[in-house]
Amino acid sequence: MLRYTFFRLVQAAFVLLVMTFLLFMLIGMMPGDPVENMLEGNPALTPELARQMRELYGVGVPLPVRYWHWLTAAFQGDFGFSSLYFRPVLEILGPALLQTLKLMIATIVLSIPLSLLLGAIAALRPGGWMDTVISFFAFASISLPNFWLSLILIIVFAVQLGWLPASGTPLAENPSLGLQIYHSILPVTVLTMFFVGPLLRYVRASMIETMSSDYIRTARAKGLSETTVIVKHALRNALIPMVTVLALGFGMLFSGALVVETIFGILGMGKMIFDAIRYVDFNLALIGLLLATIVTLVSNLLADLAYAWLDPRITLK
Amino acid sequence: MNALVEVDNLNLHFPIDGGFFKEKLTLRALTDVSFSVEEDETLAIVGESGSGKTTLGYAISGLLSPTSGRIKFGAGLGGHSQESPVQLVFQDPFSALDPRMMVGDIVAEPLRLQGVSRAERLQQADDVLEQVGLPAESARRYPHEFSGGQRQRIAIARALIAKPKLIVADEPLSALDVSIQSQILNLLNKIKRDRTISYLFISHDLGVVHHLADRVIVLYLGRIMEIASRQDLFATPSHPYTQALLESVPRIGRGRRKPGQALKGEIPTPLSPPPGCVFHTRCPRAQEDCRHHVPELLPAPGRPEQLSACHFKD
Amino acid sequence: MSAIDTELAGIPSAPRQTIWQLRRKRFLRNKPAVIALAILVVLAALCVLAYPYSLLMGLDPNETNLLMRFRPPSAEHWLGTDSLGRDVLLRLMYGGQVSIAVGVLGTLLTALIGVLIGVWAGFLGGKVDAFLMRLTDVVIALPMTPVLIVLGAVDLSKLGLSQALASSPGVVFLRIVIIIALVDWTTIARITRAATIEVRQREYVKAATVSGARHLYNVLVHVLPNITTPITVAATLSVGRIILFESTLSFLGFGIVPPTPSWGNMLTNAQELVISAPALAVYPGLLIFLTVISVNFVGDGIRIAFDPRSEK
Repeated sequence: MLRYTFFRLVQAAFVLLVMTFLLFMLIGMMPGDPVENMLEGNPALTPELARQMRELYGVGVPLPVRYWHWLTAAFQGDFGFSSLYFRPVLEILGPALLQTLKLMIATIVLSIPLSLLLGAIAALRPGGWMDTVISFFAFASISLPNFWLSLILIIVFAVQLGWLPASGTPLAENPSLGLQIYHSILPVTVLTMFFVGPLLRYVRASMIETMSSDYIRTARAKGLSETTVIVKHALRNALIPMVTVLALGFGMLFSGALVVETIFGILGMGKMIFDAIRYVDFNLALIGLLLATIVTLVSNLLADLAYAWLDPRITLK
Repeated sequence: MNALVEVDNLNLHFPIDGGFFKEKLTLRALTDVSFSVEEDETLAIVGESGSGKTTLGYAISGLLSPTSGRIKFGAGLGGHSQESPVQLVFQDPFSALDPRMMVGDIVAEPLRLQGVSRAERLQQADDVLEQVGLPAESARRYPHEFSGGQRQRIAIARALIAKPKLIVADEPLSALDVSIQSQILNLLNKIKRDRTISYLFISHDLGVVHHLADRVIVLYLGRIMEIASRQDLFATPSHPYTQALLESVPRIGRGRRKPGQALKGEIPTPLSPPPGCVFHTRCPRAQEDCRHHVPELLPAPGRPEQLSACHFKD
Repeated sequence: MSAIDTELAGIPSAPRQTIWQLRRKRFLRNKPAVIALAILVVLAALCVLAYPYSLLMGLDPNETNLLMRFRPPSAEHWLGTDSLGRDVLLRLMYGGQVSIAVGVLGTLLTALIGVLIGVWAGFLGGKVDAFLMRLTDVVIALPMTPVLIVLGAVDLSKLGLSQALASSPGVVFLRIVIIIALVDWTTIARITRAATIEVRQREYVKAATVSGARHLYNVLVHVLPNITTPITVAATLSVGRIILFESTLSFLGFGIVPPTPSWGNMLTNAQELVISAPALAVYPGLLIFLTVISVNFVGDGIRIAFDPRSEK
């Protein structure tokens, strides 16, 4: 198990290194150069200053050379300066990551019980009307464009009914927890709607499989009540591999968070990456994408390790 | 008689990937195997599953490359050119035929690979189908429309169309119903009467082997235990393993088995075959010597044509 | 010969029900899938009618008219006009053409890449397989939307295309198709690989090899025709996902760029219009939703109809 973990860690580190190169190349191919963009917005910049800034950002040097500079600096903890916020990128990163994690954790906390409940109800009578309704809901969940759902919820609950704010970020200086939650209702609803479908389909399928297995039949034969059979035996069994599904869904959730943050104006990782790319902030875009990759890599790694831990045969392969 | 194929000191080992940080294992499928297939003979290879029979068949047909040793093709064969001198007939007649191809195209495939025109090869396919007892109209049907026995006929037709000198038949009967088995057996015999062809007949069924073979090779854990003509092998088996195999064949009116003759235990794993004589772990005659020295394949006392690899052979 | 004669009696005189008839029957029994298919046909027909409709009504999808902004539905504009005075229905029809075309072409390209990599890895095995599967793992580990945005932001003129060509609608369209295929091929590659490994071990491949068949022959003649089922199922299920990718990208401004309409980019500005013209925010998204959910139901129907466990 230790060996396997070590091996996977080395592998993930290697993948990350390759990713830094690929992303650097891609971002280097975004339009314009950052200094040009700044000059346009600021006539006070003298040509001399522009030259210095070009040097600072390494504009004009071939991409692979710039990559090498970036990589050596990065290993010393220097990830460069954001041209959008005029601050070191690492200072922007922390709060943004925290915002996104809050969104994602709230979504996961809501999605797990919801998908277990709906999945279990649907699996009680496969093909019954409850199952039909819940399955339709699951299909809707994976088919809904989440940016559109956000717009519709804003129109209904913020504009028409006026119940909830259209913005995901409270305006107050130090918002209370209650206020933060109040502003998060719509974004978290969208993400939950988006996340619960795949989870619930998984729970349903694994419940149906377990319900027809021998030990469930044995439990029933023992005279246990149907509720005990479902909750104590079938549901618990369906839960274990759900760790894997959850971890794999983390990357997907991150993608969803990008869209939701952009629409609801939440200064999380997603919106940060989006803005950095839109306003050609090379350093910020790069670190944002890398962090997003790390998040997905780590969750995939955890999924694999959880799986290996639950099923020791896998390490033998 | 002329040797069609000479197998010389053949070894075939598969490296097993034991994982990134684990030591590599080696599966010794065949070890120091030497024999020859003569022209126009039926050579049977018998052994339990895991003895390396199928691997040997695949090696001779060129599907697997030997780790060491040589397989030499004799007069009229000249190695594996595109002439397909060796053809295969498989155990499972269901996975042996491509379900997406029409039977005519399946049978004609060896000719297609030789570059024969479609009209010409389909004409030949019709002829061969009739030779194996199927109507020519079968050519325009798909495999799933045929029964197991019919499919095996189709597979035999595909093997015959390339006019091979040798057909490797890997348990061609064991997936069929007993009533169908005899029909296929008769077909194989009929083909043998009509043309000059050799069979390498792989089987675990000694009854069938007795019915069909000219000579028999007994394989155990990738090594040859005994080579003999059918008469010698069945009348005076030399190797204790052969004797045990013959004992285990149920026959009516034979009375009880002699004690100590039946095989005990399972065949050991070819990942770590026992040292010395590979059979010593299950041999009723095993002595201390057997655990250390590999017995050579030498003539049985008084029968120069019957070779047996045992320190205490009969 | 008598034994052989009895054998011949077993050959059926007429072909039995083919596998395709069986699958069609099973699909038609699946009501949601059939309804979804009908909806898709209607939607596709609607999009195809864009040009006749523009002729009939004398409208242009891209011509702006600031005097005609936000008009409610009328006889000239059945669904009203948008923020630039263009006919909403006509733009929805043309936008649908773009979205569906991206969905179909993107799926074909995705399937092409996925099948090539999957067959290559599965058939050759060993080191090639290990390398390609690690590559697949890496691509799966990518955060999809952010990576799509970066790919959508890449300046094609830095890759040597002229400025004019890089921003032409045709190139923009192809670029969406290509970048989506670049990140989405992994599912089909994995499924193809698994299916290839299974077929590669079948004995008819061995028989062909003994007769002198090379890898390419075996792949083309034996492997590909026998793995079409899992590929078809996986490809149908990815159409919906690809349409969603396109609409998200276009919505964020990194996909199809105005004035060319797409269901995604018609919503880009709707964000600011939620108060003045909420209906504009409803239609395009509803159509995306309807299309994607229908495609998913049809895909699921095909999956069930093709499932070998229900095949007898």
